[in-house]
This record gives sequence, C-alpha cells and structure tokens, in this order.
Amino acid sequence: MKVSTMTGEAKTHAIDIASMQRDQRTLNLADETMALEVKDLRLSYGTKEALHGIDMLIPKHRVTAFIGPSGCGKSTLLRCFNRMNDLVDGCNITGQILLEGDNIYDRNVDIADLRRRVGMVFQKPNPFPKSIYENVAYGLRIQGINKKRVLDETVEWALRSSALWDEVKDRLHESALGMSGGQQQRLVIARTIAVKPEVLLLDEPASALDPISTLKIEELIHELKKDFTIVIVTHNMQQAARVSDYTAFMYMGDLIEFGDTDSLFTNPNKKQTEDYITGRYG
Amino acid sequence: MRYSFSEWTKSGAPWVWLNAGAVAISLIMVVGLLSLIAVRGLGHFWPADIYQADYTQNDNTTRLVGERVQTELISAEQLRDSGVTVPEGVFEMPRTLIKIGNRDHGGTDFIWVLDDHLSNQTQPEMLFAAERREWGNFYGYLRGLKENGELVAQHDGYEVTPEYMALWDQFQQRIDRALTIYDQIKAIEKGDIGAINYELERLRLRERAMELKGITDPARMQEITDRRQALDADYQQLQTELLELYNAFNRDTVVAEIASGKVVEFRIASVVRAFLPNKMHLGNKLVHYAAKLWEFVSDEPREANTEGGIFPAIFGTVLMVIIMSVIVTPFGVIAAVYLREYAKQGFVTRIIRIAVNNLAGVPSIVYGVFGLGFFVYFLGGHIDDAFFAEAKPAPTFGTPGLMWASITLALLTLPVVIVATEEGLTRIPRAIREGSLALGATKFETLMKVVIPMASPAIMTGVILAIARAAGEVAPLMLVGVVKLAPSLPLDTNYPFLHLDQKFMHLGFHIYDVGFQSPNVEAARPLVYATALLLVAVIALLNLSAIAIRNHLREKYKALEM
Repeated sequence: MKVSTMTGEAKTHAIDIASMQRDQRTLNLADETMALEVKDLRLSYGTKEALHGIDMLIPKHRVTAFIGPSGCGKSTLLRCFNRMNDLVDGCNITGQILLEGDNIYDRNVDIADLRRRVGMVFQKPNPFPKSIYENVAYGLRIQGINKKRVLDETVEWALRSSALWDEVKDRLHESALGMSGGQQQRLVIARTIAVKPEVLLLDEPASALDPISTLKIEELIHELKKDFTIVIVTHNMQQAARVSDYTAFMYMGDLIEFGDTDSLFTNPNKKQTEDYITGRYG
Repeated sequence: MRYSFSEWTKSGAPWVWLNAGAVAISLIMVVGLLSLIAVRGLGHFWPADIYQADYTQNDNTTRLVGERVQTELISAEQLRDSGVTVPEGVFEMPRTLIKIGNRDHGGTDFIWVLDDHLSNQTQPEMLFAAERREWGNFYGYLRGLKENGELVAQHDGYEVTPEYMALWDQFQQRIDRALTIYDQIKAIEKGDIGAINYELERLRLRERAMELKGITDPARMQEITDRRQALDADYQQLQTELLELYNAFNRDTVVAEIASGKVVEFRIASVVRAFLPNKMHLGNKLVHYAAKLWEFVSDEPREANTEGGIFPAIFGTVLMVIIMSVIVTPFGVIAAVYLREYAKQGFVTRIIRIAVNNLAGVPSIVYGVFGLGFFVYFLGGHIDDAFFAEAKPAPTFGTPGLMWASITLALLTLPVVIVATEEGLTRIPRAIREGSLALGATKFETLMKVVIPMASPAIMTGVILAIARAAGEVAPLMLVGVVKLAPSLPLDTNYPFLHLDQKFMHLGFHIYDVGFQSPNVEAARPLVYATALLLVAVIALLNLSAIAIRNHLREKYKALEM
C-alpha cells in the first residue's frame, strides 16, 4: 500500500507535505535514545571554516535528514560521523561527536573500527569491480571473516535486506558493474549493512538515480530504520519529508533548525527554514 | 566550382591532408623497413642455384663454380684505375658477387667478377653444395666416397646418370649416419660430461669452502673424495664411449672435384647437409627452405656465428626480458604507490617525480657503465666475498652476467613503470577508495584489494613499454653480461637450473657482432637481416603477450568509466 502511494507521488511530483507517509505516532526528540551527539563541532579547510559550531542529537533507530542549499555543509557534517574528512588535506576539526557516549575524535579511536560501526553510502554508486557476492562480502573479508558459510549467510541477509536478493540471486558471481545504477546503489547499501553497522550514513543516495530506483531506495530506508540509525543528506525536500522522522536544516555551515520532520515542514520556527522549504531560495 | 586558396585553407582540407600524409609516411616507413629486412633476411635460406662459368682475366681462363649473390654497376673509371681494360665509350659495367665457397682451398668464399669476363654460364645438375661445420660451404662435383681411407664408390663425368644418383644416395645415407653419431656425441659431451664437470666443480667448491672455514671433518672429506672418484670413473667410461663414437664419426670421407679441377677430400662428419640445388624442384626447395629456417631459430650458431642458428640468442633475450620484468614490476609499482598514495604531495615529491622522468632520458650506455661499476664490480664483488669465497679468484657474481644485465635493464626501465603506475593510480576514482574505506578497510587494505588491482591495466602498460625498451637495448648489455658466444644456456638441468651468474647471448648484440665483428662479412650479411627480423618478431611477441594480459585485466576492471 505504501509503495503505491509513493509511486503515485513520484509520478506526479506533487509537493503534498500533509499526505506524507510516516510513522503515525507523534515523535518527540526528548523521548528518544540518542545514537550520536554532536557537540560544538567546528570544521575548517585551511583557514576557511565550513562548520561553525554544530550541536545536535541523532536519535537511534530513526531516520534523520539533513537538508539545505548546496554548500551549506550538510555533506561535510555527515562525513564527520565516520571521519571521512580525515582524508581531506588541510581539514581541521574541533569539538566532539559522541557515538554511544564515546568521542569518535578521541586520539585512541581505531578509525577502521569506527567506520565499521558507522557505514556510509555515497552519492554515486561505487561498487568495486568484483562480483556481486564479493562486493557484499568485502567488508567481512576485511574483518578476516572467510568462512564460506558465514559469508554466504551474511551476503544473502544483506541482499535480502536491501531488496536485491530476488533480482541477483542467480548471478551472484557476475560482475557488479553489469547492474543498473539503482541496483548498484542498493548493492552498495547491502555491502554497507553486511558489516552490521550501528549508524548508516546516506549521502544523497538517490541523486544519481531515476525515479523508480529512487523510490526503491526510499522504501529500503523505511525498512532499514528498524535495525539501523539512518542519517541521510538530501537535496530533495519531498524525499526528506517522505523518508525522515527528524530533519535538520542547515545553512552556511550552521544548523538553523532541527526537529521532527512534521513540525519542521508544516510549522518551521525559523524564517530561513520557511523560506527554504517554500522554495524561496536554495 | 572553384575555391580560392584561402577558402581551401580555411576549409581545413590541407590540414587533413597533412595529417593523413604524416600517417601514410609513417606507415610506409614501417612497412618498408620490415619488408626490407624480411626480404633480405628470409631470402638467405632459399637454396640458390649453382652456376658454372668460364672466367677470363688477363687471357687466363679458369672455371668458376658458385652462387650468384648480387649484381651491381661499377664505374669504368674505377675499373681502369684498378688496371682492368675497359672498352672506350663504356661508363659503367655490371659486376657480380659470387659465393664460390671452398674456403679451405681458395682462402675466400666470395669474389667479385665482371659479367663481361664470364662466359659459358651453365647450371650443371650434378653440382652439389654442402654445408659444413668448418670452412663454410663446399661446391663441387661428387667423385667418390671413402670408408676408412678405402674408396667404396666413385663416379666420373659431368652428367647426371642413375649411377651418379646411386652414389648421391649413398652420400646422403652416410651424412645421416654421421649426423646421428654427432647427436650422440653432443648428448654425451654437453649432457652427461657437462653434468659431471658441473658436479666436480661443485665438489671442488665445497672442499675449498670447508678448507676456508677450517672444517677438517674426515667423514665429509671422505664423502667428497668418494663422490669424486665415482664421477671420475663415470667420466672415464664416457670418455671411452666418446672415443669409439669419434672413430665411427670420422670413418667416412667424400671425394669431390672443385672448380679448379682439383680433386679434394673432406670428412663427411663435417657435413651438416648436402644438396643438389640445380636438380631440386620447387617442392624440394620449399622443404629445404623450411628446414633451414627451422635450423635458424632452433639451432646453435656455427663458424663464428656466420652459419647455423641463433637459438641461444633468442633464448637469452627472452629470458633476460622476463627476469627484467619480474624485477622491475614490483619495484616500480611499490615506488609509484609510495609516491602517489603515501608521500605528502609537495615540493619534494615534485622533485622526485622530475628526477624519475629525467632518468628515463639518460642514455642507456650510462646505465651500462653504472651497472658495470656498481652492480658487477661493487655488489657482485661483495657477494662473491660473502657467499662465493670458495670460488675465488674466479668471480661468480663479480663478473658480467644474466642477473646484472637484467637488473641494469630493470633500472633503465624503472621510470616508465613508475610513471605509468602513478598515472593509473591517479585515475582510480576517489569514490571507489572512499567506498572501501567506509567499510572499515585500512588504507593498505584498500590499496591491495581495490586500488592496485584496478590500476593493474595501467601497470601492464608500463610493463609493455619497459619490455619494448629493454628487449631492443644493446649498448648497456655489452658491459654487463652479453657475450658473442655463450657455451651453454643459462637455463639447464643442473641444479639450481637458472644460472643467473652466467653470461648469455642476445639478439641485438648478435646483430652487431655478426654484422660488424664477423671475419666473413659477406657470408654474415643476410644473417644480420634475418636476426633483425627475428628480434623484431620476438619483441612483438613479448609485447603482444603483455597486451593480451592487459586487455584481460582491462575487461575485468573496466569500472573507470563511472
């Protein structure tokens, strides 16, 4: 039922916030357990500060969406959660991000281990030039798991969880590069959840995909939030409205407003948020 | 419709013509080069007809027998200067180079004669040619066969008769018999005795090593002495066997009349093959041609490299290139990975990169000098001191050899591999690396499992370029390991099978040696072309196999178009 509604929406591209499908109970940030806590996070590239002291909470087993105009720092913030920004030369970060109470920017944190706990899916599908099976098993093999039975089970579970199993079960050992873009992106999601992370970061996961594939990804996000805390960056406000429980609006490196998606879209507190969601800029 | 010149220029047509012209000229040059060496080289193996002619010079007439090699025009002036009477009004006269063979009787196998001085040219069918292991080709009329000095068959006259053919058949049978014995002798000398000598040498080294270390264990000494005695006994037995074989080998001689009319005798044992080219029809000639060609690629050289095959040179070239690739690939890849992935990009890496690129432009002979000075004398000398002290004063690695040649060429081609690998690494999309890192892989795991496999086609491109360069390189090799004639292949059945310390033969050097260092330039010239053709073929083959591997890898990792 849910699927058909969403398909209809995509076809008409209607912006109808009121009819969005979400959990029908009222969400209240105060009631949630938190997966991530961001405390006064500042990030600068060289001398240019890109994030000016962000404080926010990411609730567990919920979908949190980051919206905002291009260059507002939402992807940068997302990449702070698994320390992907460490790879960027000249990137300097202060402040804290607590994952289950522990600061991930602590000196003795094992980055590889952190990234296992905080998985990430990128804008463009980036499967490895290996077979479908090996793509999903990659993270496990990295952890030294090479038992065929364990791998087989996990690969199947991950592919089923990402609604890909029925499409690929007969060609698991064919190259992942032969799949369609949408399938590749779901494969990447399968690959990421195969290592059973606690948090799943999605960086505009559907922006390179066609509408049908986009819907499949959104549907998948609904399914996955039972098991994972999901943070999604999106340019598409309808998508944010459709899939997320909480939404953060960012602008120019500041977190402007953060709250449950319903309230933020129907009754924004800040003028800037309202301007953005009504399409006045961005 | 008429165009003005400026319109024509603007239309771009002259530009297209210019481009197409450049490509066409390049193509013509490549094809022309290949066909020249192909024709000159491959023509050599065709059984040429043997001519008989009367040669008159200064009222003196002699009989000439030989193959025509080439004809050219020579100016009358030059002839007059050398004392030849040339009729008035003639400015140029044709002269012909004739291969008369029989170096053991005339001293030279080639002579130039003026065509005007030749008369009564015929091609008698009974003339035969014999390729020998010494003194070059023989041309003459078969007169008889001797066994242990006793005449067993003979023939007179200049006509091919059934009796002559019977004699010829007997001659062929005796040649075949001699060749069989020759193979047996070679097998014993190179195989069995070679192995015994090799083991004796190792025993000597072991003994010497114990001596140097001051070990006086009588049991071990006794072991060595016993083994040596056993080997000596084997050797004696083989020696007796060899003696018998040699006696049988030298049993027959052939009697033949040469051009001057003299009747001479030579050992059938020295004959590789004999044939009647004027009597051969096309089929026979084709068979002969194929046999000669096969001999060329599969046999060892004879007579100071001017006859026989060049197999050791092919083998040496290929082996050296393979060892070079095995050394340069990991080395270059590791260096490139460090430069591109780990080193902080900045002034220093830029300097290193420039230095690496410039290294590719250093003349190869400089690498040769470096290889000789550093690898051979310094490194090799120290290796000898440390590990092969028992063999001194004879150097083991402290002398040019296969390993040093391979390493020198690896150094020479290193920049190519580094540059190509770096290029390949740069082209791996960031998204792929991040994908791997985001799954909890370390940078090292990402490199090993994703990045380097994906860059492998580019690495192979580097290796292909390295092979192309290394296989054709001669100058440095002359200093670090190539020789004119290597007594044995660097790969054999004696432990440790691959003898990296041995000197080896190389096609490129072979061309130089045969073409410019040969005592018999005229005989060697066609071989220069044939060897050059083969060198090109070997390089092409090496490259094609590398390209095949690269295409396979490309097919596997064609994700780069994302």
